[in-house]
Amino acid sequence: MSAGRVHRPETLEEATALLGELDDVMVYGGGTAIQILRKQGLLFTEDYVDIAGIPGLRDLTVTDDDITIGTLVPLRRVETDPRTRRLVPVAAAAYGQAANPRVRNTASAGGNIAHGDYRLDPPTALVVLDATVHLASAAGSREVAVREFFTDFQETDVRHGEMITAITVPRQPDGSRSSFVKMRSLSENDWPCASAAVLAVPEDGFVEIRMGLGAVAPTTVYLAFDVTPDMDEQQAVEAALDIADSVMDPIADIRGSASYKARLGRVAVEQAVRSSLKELSRD
Amino acid sequence: MNEITLDVNGTPHKVAVEDTTLLLDALRRRVGVTSAREGCGVGACGACTVLAEGRSVSSCLAVAVRYDGTPLTTADGLPEDDPVVSSFVDSDAMQCGYCIPGFVLMTKELLSENPSPNDEEVSDHLEGNICRCATYPEIIKAVRLAAKRSAT
Repeated sequence: MSAGRVHRPETLEEATALLGELDDVMVYGGGTAIQILRKQGLLFTEDYVDIAGIPGLRDLTVTDDDITIGTLVPLRRVETDPRTRRLVPVAAAAYGQAANPRVRNTASAGGNIAHGDYRLDPPTALVVLDATVHLASAAGSREVAVREFFTDFQETDVRHGEMITAITVPRQPDGSRSSFVKMRSLSENDWPCASAAVLAVPEDGFVEIRMGLGAVAPTTVYLAFDVTPDMDEQQAVEAALDIADSVMDPIADIRGSASYKARLGRVAVEQAVRSSLKELSRD
Repeated sequence: MNEITLDVNGTPHKVAVEDTTLLLDALRRRVGVTSAREGCGVGACGACTVLAEGRSVSSCLAVAVRYDGTPLTTADGLPEDDPVVSSFVDSDAMQCGYCIPGFVLMTKELLSENPSPNDEEVSDHLEGNICRCATYPEIIKAVRLAAKRSAT
């Protein structure tokens, strides 16, 4: 970061004022992605608003219904906190697979989704859990369903002048079971070539299967369908693969061709659906 | 410029840094710590690892001003009889040694959270550290030995 000005507001009001006034500006949260992209010569933002000095953004708060993750909560805390592990295990699992433990200590929950990359692990869990993103600007605050948040390739619904303040994640429904599967074609801590978070929610003999897919389309994808009482596990898996096939649109890169990623996307979906249903059947 | 205090291995160092100075550069150029090294520069190899309040940080991705007054541990601040340090030495867990401070500090963090990790947990925690000499089998042995020594 040789070029670039850094502003260090001490209140949310100061931060949102800066974000509104400055033209080419970015929030500096954990800073890991920003540092990497700058070093790679891919990011040339002039002004950064460092939000580390603003109180309250590191809080992790639990209510009877949900968990609210402050924007500066490190990914590793979502992975390891006993409350997230108990109440939103699919989120703890997905957050725990991002990058490596050391980067997860620094990278922030808000910055992760602001990055908006289609290969990120945490969004796959956030979409199945129907999380809500809290945004603040000088004009006030608003909430966006995370399922509407990732709008296009590397694009999110964060508008100029806004910053993410928190993510609220509903507790996993009683009796539900979940699984997160990440397929890697390069190193253990690399981006996935395909990933799938699955939440199986039983209700009146039916099982709702919610799926969040990563890396197999230009954005994180959310899909859901019902397993009816007459379907066995194999039929449920085939239904999941059919619906997943309909959205797969992988981007070829060094992690594999489009057909390779689609193939591994099917493997991830099958493993995650089978694992979730097997756990349900043990209950 | 910002005047900050880097608390390195219990010793405060007053240093002047730019807004954008990386913690790695502040430690090496201002404080004189050379056990934190630049490898990949993007958080993937672990050679620049330091502990901040006991938690591992890639100092190549961290700005120094964020660590004003934060207790930092670098590998050279550990005594020779530290169970992790002595276990790495006794296990011949190094050839060139460039990456080893990072492995040692990641092991300190792992054992503080999980005093008796299994091999999978060791691999999971050290997966973001790369050794070009491929001394991995000895590194795993060193971590196992360090867990034993730390328990006694």
